[in-house]
Parts: sequence; C-alpha cells; structure tokens
Amino acid sequence: MTHRSVEVPVVGRVEGEGALHIRIDDDVITRLELEIYEPPRFFEAFLRGRHFSEVPDIVPRICGICPVAYQMSAIYGLEELFEVELPAGVRELRRLLYLGEWIESHMLHVHLLALPDYLGFDDAIQLARGGFKDAVERGLRLKRLGNDLMAAIGGREIHPVSPRVGGFSKAVSPSTLRALLPRIDDALAEILDVADLIAPLEVPTFPRPAELVAISDPSGYAITHGTMASSEGRRWTFAEYEEVTTEIQVAHSNALHSVFTDTDTPYFLGPLARVMLNGEWLTPVAREAAARSGLQLPTLDPFASMAARVVESALALEEARRLIADYEPPDPPAAPVRPRAGRATWATEAPRGTLYHRYDVAEDGTIIEAKIVPPTSQNLRHMEKDLAEFLPGVLDRPDDELTRLAEMVVRNYDPCISCATHFLRLDIERT
Amino acid sequence: MRPVRVIGCGNPDAGDDAAGLVAAEEVARRAPDGVEVVLARDPLRLLDLLEGARRVIVVDAIRAPDGGRTPGAVIRAEAGPDGLPAAVRSSLSSHGLGIAETIGIAAAIGDAPPIVFHGVEAGNVRMGSAMSADVRAALPLLVERVLADARP
Repeated sequence: MTHRSVEVPVVGRVEGEGALHIRIDDDVITRLELEIYEPPRFFEAFLRGRHFSEVPDIVPRICGICPVAYQMSAIYGLEELFEVELPAGVRELRRLLYLGEWIESHMLHVHLLALPDYLGFDDAIQLARGGFKDAVERGLRLKRLGNDLMAAIGGREIHPVSPRVGGFSKAVSPSTLRALLPRIDDALAEILDVADLIAPLEVPTFPRPAELVAISDPSGYAITHGTMASSEGRRWTFAEYEEVTTEIQVAHSNALHSVFTDTDTPYFLGPLARVMLNGEWLTPVAREAAARSGLQLPTLDPFASMAARVVESALALEEARRLIADYEPPDPPAAPVRPRAGRATWATEAPRGTLYHRYDVAEDGTIIEAKIVPPTSQNLRHMEKDLAEFLPGVLDRPDDELTRLAEMVVRNYDPCISCATHFLRLDIERT
Repeated sequence: MRPVRVIGCGNPDAGDDAAGLVAAEEVARRAPDGVEVVLARDPLRLLDLLEGARRVIVVDAIRAPDGGRTPGAVIRAEAGPDGLPAAVRSSLSSHGLGIAETIGIAAAIGDAPPIVFHGVEAGNVRMGSAMSADVRAALPLLVERVLADARP
C-alpha cells in the first residue's frame, strides 16, 4: 500500500482555520470535510440590545465584499415589521445599489478567481503575465464600475452608510449617476467580450441532480423582493424560512449546515440557481451573453456558474442603465419610522445566494435577538456533496491536478471566505 | 504634485487584523502635507487606490507563511517587478486575494507607482476579539516607520 500526503492551499496561502481535508484509502474517499466558513455569530451577539437604527451601520461590517446585501436583508425586514411606506423611488435606488454589488463581486470572481483556474494559471498575477493582461485589466475596470456605482449611491463602497431604515439618509444627485452612463455603455460591450473569452474554455462537466433555490418574483429578476422557490417546486415565504430549512450541527466544523427540514437534503444557492429559476426575466444583453458564453439552459451543472455570473453582470449593467436614465431622487429620501414589537424576517439575493435575516424587536425598537443565515453557510453541505460525488471520477489524477479540481468545485459556489476565515488549506491524504 | 498615499488595510472587528487601520489612523493625525491616508477593508481596493499617487505605503497585519515570526514583529518590504518578496506574502486575505496578490497584479499590469509595505505579524484574528498585547505594543514603532517612509 502506498501512502502519500499532500498539503496545498485552496484559496488562501497560509495555514489557518479553514481547510478541506480529503482522505483516500485504496482509491476510495473515506473522509471529506470542508471547513471554510465561520458564521457571523459575533455579529448576532453584537446586535442584541442595539437600537434598530444602528443595524444598517453594523451588518455591512460582516462582509467587505457584500455589505449591501447585509444592509438590504436587514432594512427591508425591519421596514415590513414597522409597516413603513417608502417614498417613491427608494426601491429603485436600492436595486441600483445592489446591482453595483453584483457587478463588483461577479467580475472579481470571474476574472481574478475563476479565469486563472480555467486557463491553467496559478493565479491572476500569472494570468496577467501569461498573455491575458487585457482580460485582467478589463475585469478590474468592470469591477471598479460596480464599486463606483456603490460609492455614488451608498456613500462609502466598503461599508455604505447612506441606506437606512425608511429610505436613504441622502439621495444621490441625478448628475452624479448620469456621469457613469458612458462607462456603463462601454461595459455593456465589454461584458460580451468576456462571454466570448469564456465560451471556448475547457470546463469540466458535472451534470448531477441538485435542488436549486432562489427568490422568485412575478414582476422581475428577483433580488430584494418575492418568495422563495426551488427547482423541485417548493414555495415558501421569508417568514417560513426557518421552518422549511434547518441548520444542523456537524462534528468537523463550527459552521452550521443547512438542509430542507422535511427531506434532510441540501440545496444550492447562487447565480446559477437564479438564472435557472428566473431566466424568463433575463434582459436582451444578458441573453446574448448567455448565448455567446455557451451557457445552455436549463442546466444543473455547477461548472456553468462562471457563465451565470457573466450573464447576471450583463443583466445588472443593462438594468443599471435603465434605472439611471429614469432616475429622479426620492423626495423626501426617507419616510418616518415608528418601531413596533415583533419579528422581522427577510431575505435578499446576495451575489453568492440568498441571505436570510431575522430580528426579534422590542416595542421601543431594541433588537432582542438577531439571526443571520448567509448563503455560504447554506451552500456548505452542497459543496461537500459535490466534492464527494465529483472527486471519485478523477482520483487517478496526480495530487496537484486533484487539488485544482477540488478548488474549482468549491469555487463554483464563490464561498465568502473573507467574512471571517482568513486561511485555507487543502490536505489530501492517500494511503 | 501627486500625493504620497498611505493605505491602511484590515478588518476592524477581527482582533489583530485591525492593526493596519489603527496605525494608518495614527499616521493620519501626524502626517505632513502632501500625504494622504486612506483606509480599505477589501485589499482589492488597492488597485484603484494606487492610481494618481506618487508613492504608496501599505500597512497591514500579516502572517508568516511558515509561522516563522512572532506576533508583533514589524517588517518592511519594497515591491519589485514581481510584487512583494515571498517573506511578506500571505497577508490576511479577502477571498484569497490579499495585499501581496493585489500588488502582484498591479506589478504584472505594469502601471504601479513605487510601493512600500509595512506589516505587523498578527497573533489573534478571531472576529470580535480585541487586539493582542504584542501587536498593540508594536504599533508605535509601526507608525514611526510608516511616517519615516511617508515624508516627501
């Protein structure tokens, strides 16, 4: 019997808290454990006893990549509980802010994380040096447009300060937004170049069954409003989220794993789920991006996720263009808010999938209890399932290639490693 | 004249990972004219923040890849055509893309100003924890060194 032990970082480049452990005995995987995510329990505790008006400034600190998602799940939930009537235009401006975050996050993922994998480079540095400098620069330009859109509307793009319960503390001027239009027009052309770039790439195929989950809305491509839907026909409201799904404790990780309560099965969130469940709402350029990138719908193949991110970026740019052209500042920028006691539940579509929040609120607006269920934690169990089903077919590959393939399986989910876990290592043990 | 830009990176809620932000704030209080101080949580913001600067000084918490430095150790490195030297790779990363990778990308694209990196070795980076005594004790030296490089 041969024994080999390999250690390779999956994403981070030093040892740390997060890891993927794979043990292979006689060509059979006998142990597979993924620990890449620390749930925002510190913030759930930190929110207890705070006034509701502080929540929009606290929750974006949970994630440097998707602060808007955290704000929006919290704000819309509290506004529903408090029966706030939003001034005209607030919802549209928030959608525009959210689209900026999608563009920023998706373009970062596609160009700096996924493309090096698919083109056979170690990282984006080698990609830029290896003849793809223009592609890296284009990706950074597109990502920056998303950042700038967020900064224009939200104040600071890393932790936007402008959104609040009731509306915005200040509405951006039309001229500030319209100044971005020429760059959006350029980006709409460039996103099709990105689609053309990824079309010929050799992508593994993995058409396994999966139950996809996303918010669905009869009036458009759902981001902040609608009801939960799955590809197996389940439907539930945000208020029913914690009945329909259950977080379970697993021995090897401090993160909880999410499953459907009745069937004990995992589910798959994110851009591919959204494109599949809400594809009828794709805009013309998004459809063209799908066609040119080779994304053939319907598909359950998680390796189609990169193309889905390009398609959603096209949709985001196209919608942003329309929202800016039609923009009139909400006046007043915020409605008055009177707190009341009760339970707020809401979910929105963060770049990497559905982000659920629940707040139990006292009569004076104090947060009694907060619950935050991020998309990465909900996807964890499905990531493990994918690894367990995909890797047996490639065990004959050398360790470095096996490592790369395992990374790609995990990367399909764009897990939000940044939020708390800084370091990640992959251990493959073969005996 | 284009400014010298000091960029503090880190996560204010994650123990020693706040060191770069705290140091940069102190630098901002004492910085001479012509020096800009910016805070960034997402290291990739660096790529945007390099633009228009005469010289850039990045300050962040880091971890030695081999665990070969003690918490509170302060180091300085200059970025070359290949980014940062290996000894200071593996700063605390966001999405696996940390300061070293970001500087490497800027170098590969080829339009980066001169970049100096100042790091402090992190001990505890748990969310919600306070900065460790080792790293806190290292901050005055870190600030002095950044200021010395920031002087026009």
